[in-house]
Amino acid sequence: MQITRRHLSLAAGMAAAVALTAGALIASTAQAAPATGTPAPAFSGVTSAGETISLADFAGRTVVMEWTNDGCPFVKKHYTAPPSNMQTLQKSAAADDVVWISVISSAEGEQGYADAARANELTASRGAAPAHVVLDAEGTIGRLYGAKTTPHMFIITPDGNLAYDGAIDSKSSAKVADIDTATNYVTAALADLEAGKPVATPVTKPYGCSVKYK
Amino acid sequence: MIRIYRALMLALAGFGLFAFMALAQSPDDARRAEAELISERTSVLPGETVFIALRMTMDPGWHIYWRNAGDAGLPPQLILKETASIADEALGEMMWPLPKLLPVVDGEIMDYGYDDEAVFALALTVPADAAGEVRIEAVADYLICEAVCIPETADVSLVLAVGEPAENVPAGDLIGAWIAKVPGPFEGEARIDDAAAPWTLSLSLAGGFPQGAGVRFFPFEHEISHPADQPQRVGPSGASLLLTPDRAGKVGEALEGIIRVDAPGAEPVGYVIRAERGEVFDGTADTAFVPVAGAGEVAGLSWQGLLSLAGFAFLGGLILNLMPCVLPVLSMKALGMVSAAAGGHAGELRAHGLWYTSGVLVSFGVLALVILAVRQATGFATLGFQLQHAPTVAVLVLIMFAVGLWLMGFFELGASITNTGSGLAGRGGAMGAFFTGVLAAVVGAPCVGPFLGAALGAVMSQPAPAVVAVFLAMGFGMALPFLVLSFVPVLHRLLPKPGKWMNTLKQFFAFPMFLTAAWLLSVLADLAGAGAVGWTLAGATAIGFAVWIGREAGLMRRGAAIAALIAAFALPAVQANVPAPRTGGEPSVPAYAEAAWSPAQVDALLAEGRPVFVDFTASWCASCQVNKLTTLDTKRVKAAFEAADVAFLVADFTQKDPVIADELKRRGRAGVPMYLWYPAGAREPEILPELLTQELVIGLVEGR
Repeated sequence: MQITRRHLSLAAGMAAAVALTAGALIASTAQAAPATGTPAPAFSGVTSAGETISLADFAGRTVVMEWTNDGCPFVKKHYTAPPSNMQTLQKSAAADDVVWISVISSAEGEQGYADAARANELTASRGAAPAHVVLDAEGTIGRLYGAKTTPHMFIITPDGNLAYDGAIDSKSSAKVADIDTATNYVTAALADLEAGKPVATPVTKPYGCSVKYK
Repeated sequence: MIRIYRALMLALAGFGLFAFMALAQSPDDARRAEAELISERTSVLPGETVFIALRMTMDPGWHIYWRNAGDAGLPPQLILKETASIADEALGEMMWPLPKLLPVVDGEIMDYGYDDEAVFALALTVPADAAGEVRIEAVADYLICEAVCIPETADVSLVLAVGEPAENVPAGDLIGAWIAKVPGPFEGEARIDDAAAPWTLSLSLAGGFPQGAGVRFFPFEHEISHPADQPQRVGPSGASLLLTPDRAGKVGEALEGIIRVDAPGAEPVGYVIRAERGEVFDGTADTAFVPVAGAGEVAGLSWQGLLSLAGFAFLGGLILNLMPCVLPVLSMKALGMVSAAAGGHAGELRAHGLWYTSGVLVSFGVLALVILAVRQATGFATLGFQLQHAPTVAVLVLIMFAVGLWLMGFFELGASITNTGSGLAGRGGAMGAFFTGVLAAVVGAPCVGPFLGAALGAVMSQPAPAVVAVFLAMGFGMALPFLVLSFVPVLHRLLPKPGKWMNTLKQFFAFPMFLTAAWLLSVLADLAGAGAVGWTLAGATAIGFAVWIGREAGLMRRGAAIAALIAAFALPAVQANVPAPRTGGEPSVPAYAEAAWSPAQVDALLAEGRPVFVDFTASWCASCQVNKLTTLDTKRVKAAFEAADVAFLVADFTQKDPVIADELKRRGRAGVPMYLWYPAGAREPEILPELLTQELVIGLVEGR
């Protein structure tokens, strides 16, 4: 009966594989991402401080969302100190009463995954200053916004419209040296909003590592 | 418990072997790819243009990107260092071979790139004042990803002597082979209808795309959603694709990119397209079409990808039960089950079903390992390879024929050479069931090639465990109907009662066998020509002779039968190994006369007053491949040649040829490429530049 037992389990394995395939095919229906100029999708999530925040909490304030993954070389590029590009942006946002939300959509076991303790530790060790770090290991918020890369930046106006969707700057590279010569789209968009103008470059192609979704 | 433990140990040992193989392939350094610069020449002349290339060899599972990386990733770059003896302008643009789809998250994130190996050719214009040597020192700067991404840099360098040109044949071959994979100009027209989402990309091509070809569009920019499916429609004059625009996607002046065409049984081909706004061409969107194998050949399978592939393989296995060359074996098995069911032995039937399943699985496992071994040995294998090897096909014809004779009842199987197949299968009990499974798989294999070769082509570039998994899934699909039958007693009652009809049925199944043999003969005719078909039919006759003379006992008769059998299989196999004389050549292509070059031939043609174009080429000459791709092999140029009645002569220098060498020398050239143009009535040719353009050649031909 040795063969019997082995093949029974093999049969079960194969059946499971087929079932999983069907499931995966059904589950993988693409979602439409929001367009700039339209209301940003409402979300709520749990932060590394244990609070539950939602987009509605920040009505009347400009919100920046930053998709991040500390293991990704493109994210590292912008957190490298000096020049501490991302940290500087976060601090100047805070100074201008802009709400900066870092979102971690890496699934558990994937690169960049962080629980609350690790997320706080990362913020401290890198000298980062986001208002909140949202833990999105299920990828719900990431998929809602259509976040594709780390970093991938979104800016939401005080009245809740999506104003910017795209890359952090104009040089798609993982080299720190390129930060200096690149145009920072987030700085530019925030300046436009501050000046009460529409964002000149509302959409760019984000660059970086793929978001490590579940 | 001990048995489970043993099974576990076996599985672990297998896994360890794969892990070891993976390790053995890793380069020594810490990088995930090896980068090197290669050149088609070891020495060059000042002022000439030759091809060099950046060759990247990736660790298994890691990939690099196309010029448009898709949703994430970065294309590789070659950056000259200050220490290089040439300026940036001396190097042309990197040439991007046809990429694969790299789905990161199915339906959400899609990248475009390469796994395993990629060779990026660049034209090098040797400075006119170069002396001594040309020193190319550069940095290959690339992002390489598996689940995670790592930016890497590698110092690469290449030193070419300046002086009497000398080829580097292996490198030239490699560069030429990869240049052939660079998408060439599209011979048809492309239009984009972006009035509403989804957009329609309409591709009009005289004669349409090859039968069953899947087409996928890869944009140069990001106008469209990369992960979205591109539903395909086809018609007599081409194909069209529905493209989902990216959220901010707009078509500027035109939509530019490449299309990748995956036709069944052919290497994928790419074409550069530029689609201006316009209405969908007539005859390009008549019927919906789902390619058998997904266009774009998915690389670096995700688990989801592997599972769905295994799912398709499983379905393929199920369908395999309906194939004419499996059905007869199944019928043999069904006959066995009829008697077991009649005896009321439910437990025995179950064991039967499991043994049959294991027989099929073992055979598919062995087939997978054999294919992996062949792939390892040759560097390439497709599932249809059985059917591309003429001796194998010849032997398969004879086996089909012999099985047909046996089904007909012309002979009974004794303890002769066939006992490994049907003899064992015919036995009752566990061994009989096991070998019926083996036989079902072995006989079914020739059906797998034509029907599932395309789907399995995708898995061939996958790591060994994926190949094995897919094959096992297929085997399981094939065995499942019987397994179910043997486990669900209710279904047993549906089994027909034993009777005389069984023999009739058995005889009937001889006809699918003969038909399969006839089809295989036609395959053989393509592969090895009429001679091999004749020898194979003679072999079939010898089998008939062996059956006839071996019917009665006697040492002499037995000896003669065995001798005839040996001859029946050996002679066709040997004769089929001669490649087919390619009479007729490629039927569709040469509109203009293409002939081998010789000085006498040129004189004769000139005497006729015809213009002559001579292509001095070689397989290892990368520049030659570029010219072929961009100019000589294009419809426009061929049409111009035909219109002007140009005789197109090829001097193939792949093997050193003293006559060609003399001619090259006489024209002051040390090697190929060399293009000679004799206008009508001319005695002496014009020597054309090493890099041709369509405009240049057409201009010459039309006398402009």
